[in-house]
Amino acid sequence: MKSMNWDWEIKPQAPWAGVSLKELKSFKDLLLSLVRKEFLSQYQQTLLGPVWILLYPLLTVATYVLVFNKVIGVSTEGIPSFLYYLTGITLWNLFAEIFQQTAHTFVHNSTVFSKVYFPRLIAPISILLLNFLRFGIQLFFLAVVLAYYYISGAIQFNPLHILIAIPVILVTAGIAFGTGLVFAVITGKYKDLFGLLQLIIRLLMFVCPIFYSINLVPEKIKWIVNLNPLSSLFQLFRFSLLNTSSADLSSFIYSVTFMCIVLLSGVFLFNRMGDKLMDVL
Amino acid sequence: MSEIILQAENVSKSYNLGSIDSGSLRQELQLFWQSKILKRETDFFKDINKNNPKKLFWALKDVNLEIKRGETWGIIGGNGAGKSTFLKILSRIIRPTSGSVRGQGRLSSLLEVGTGFHQELTGRENIFINGNMLGMKRSEIQKKFDEIVDFSGVGEFLDTPVKRYSSGMYVRLAFAVAAHLEPDILIVDEVLAVGDVEFQKKCLGKMKEASSEHGRTVIFVSHNLQSIQSLCSKALWLEKGRSVAAGEAKTVINSYLGTQQKKAWKHEYDSMALAPGNEHIKVLKVELVPNLSNPMDQVDIRTELTVKFKFYNLNNDIHLTASVLLFGSAGECIFNVPSKAGVCDAGMFEAECTIPGNFLNDGSYFICLYFARNGTEELYCYNECLIFDVADYREDAEFYYKWWGMVRPDFKLSLNKVA
Repeated sequence: MKSMNWDWEIKPQAPWAGVSLKELKSFKDLLLSLVRKEFLSQYQQTLLGPVWILLYPLLTVATYVLVFNKVIGVSTEGIPSFLYYLTGITLWNLFAEIFQQTAHTFVHNSTVFSKVYFPRLIAPISILLLNFLRFGIQLFFLAVVLAYYYISGAIQFNPLHILIAIPVILVTAGIAFGTGLVFAVITGKYKDLFGLLQLIIRLLMFVCPIFYSINLVPEKIKWIVNLNPLSSLFQLFRFSLLNTSSADLSSFIYSVTFMCIVLLSGVFLFNRMGDKLMDVL
Repeated sequence: MSEIILQAENVSKSYNLGSIDSGSLRQELQLFWQSKILKRETDFFKDINKNNPKKLFWALKDVNLEIKRGETWGIIGGNGAGKSTFLKILSRIIRPTSGSVRGQGRLSSLLEVGTGFHQELTGRENIFINGNMLGMKRSEIQKKFDEIVDFSGVGEFLDTPVKRYSSGMYVRLAFAVAAHLEPDILIVDEVLAVGDVEFQKKCLGKMKEASSEHGRTVIFVSHNLQSIQSLCSKALWLEKGRSVAAGEAKTVINSYLGTQQKKAWKHEYDSMALAPGNEHIKVLKVELVPNLSNPMDQVDIRTELTVKFKFYNLNNDIHLTASVLLFGSAGECIFNVPSKAGVCDAGMFEAECTIPGNFLNDGSYFICLYFARNGTEELYCYNECLIFDVADYREDAEFYYKWWGMVRPDFKLSLNKVA
């Protein structure tokens, strides 16, 4: 038979690298419509609609102000506790939402995945975009609160430090996305691990310095905090916005390295195992 | 226009039988511990041993197919023949266990109507979501938006959430989007089985148009051989995961029907002990013989059918009637033809009954043999001894809908203009 140039080929093994960037780009319209679909569908037939994007973190913060500040009395480094917690919760929500939703990729999309082809990575990327959108709104709200406290003179503010927030946000999202992808593959195969997922999220929330500063942690158990790649990110995020205590450069490098590893292995694993999972879903 | 646009080479797909693949992590760790650490050969371990072919189920085995640009292929075969698996591999949803598929251009698959539809969102939103999922660009959808809405006929409900649609409207909207796809290769699973007759006709017409006028390649799976025959130029016949025949649609469909029919059309028993019956009657042979010029041709409404049977009467000196009863697929009796009653002695009897051509409607039928004494007293009833299908045949192939009526006799209807 004469040799031909084929546009595509389906082989038994999915390549680690997945589809080419060019092909991924050709599904841009689908990506955007998935984001739109998720965003719109979440607020159909609801009482408050998108207001929840702000209401949810506000209610969470209110709870934690009550528990950590008023009852237990953890120090907030001289910052008003509402602002201190809101800053932490905003970043935490970005992490938690991306991680959890990405981990549910196969379970949520199993009916669609079994009926139509598109690069599977499109689904988690749409989650990523959607959460950045939501995070943007929350960040805007945070900025308003920040401005209020700045004007009333309750906090100091260094405009240059704000730039630090950008890489911190990206690294946080990267870690969430990477670990989410790994968990998507694992939970796709073993459904009983969803319980573990919930546990991890809850545990992580208290191990991360959201409601306290790293410096408050007793030396004896500080290694736990140091081991957590998210610790330095929360510390730095607060540093950039509230001018509180900073974190070591080395711990930030540790976070970045962790993100690179987990992101690469997440994407590779997802690409490689995604099609195989279709047999067992 | 004879270049090969899609090529499947030795495509095989196997599944592990049993629940091993969907087990919990605990099971798998246990298995790992037993087999790798303790080096113990458990029965459980043997099950997942890939070298053990018994536990491996081949949904597809070495299927080869070459499709040229502009051809329309129908895939036929019984349940579990691997048709859907093959389509899923071609549409890149699952990967083959071995072999490969190569292709050119854009491929869209329609394995379900309304993939990605969100119940809470409006018809308008869903047109875009579904269109994007099937591989259309946003600009393409915008360009064809009015056409899609027109085709679906749900115009006034466009801004209503689709959960409030009737199921018919839902399907029509979904298919309207699909009908406006413009891929190089279109893969369609049995999705036409939904919607009303009028709409089905519209859809089949649209698919025909896609292949004949726009030169698109269509791969189509259906149980309805009639629609495959009218739509497809080529056909692939799968049986138990293997390709039995591939080529001209008419030839493949006819030989498929030929073997399908042979299986259920003759029962013969060598010994009295094995033959169905009781202490009064033993049926030794029952057979359906279609009067076809070519034995490989399919039985359609024009075909004359003869029921032949042979039985042993064990009673002396009785008034015996043997009847042939024909039932439709829903169990309704179409006719009951008895033999003339007469006094019979014990012995072997042969009987024959011919159903003329141009009498039965298309559909599935089964035949019962009924033996009675003195007209009413049942001796034996051989239920569902022959099962057969009658295919449709129409001079005017434009109509796809089911012909009404239990029978379809060729009575003459005269039409005269009187005023």
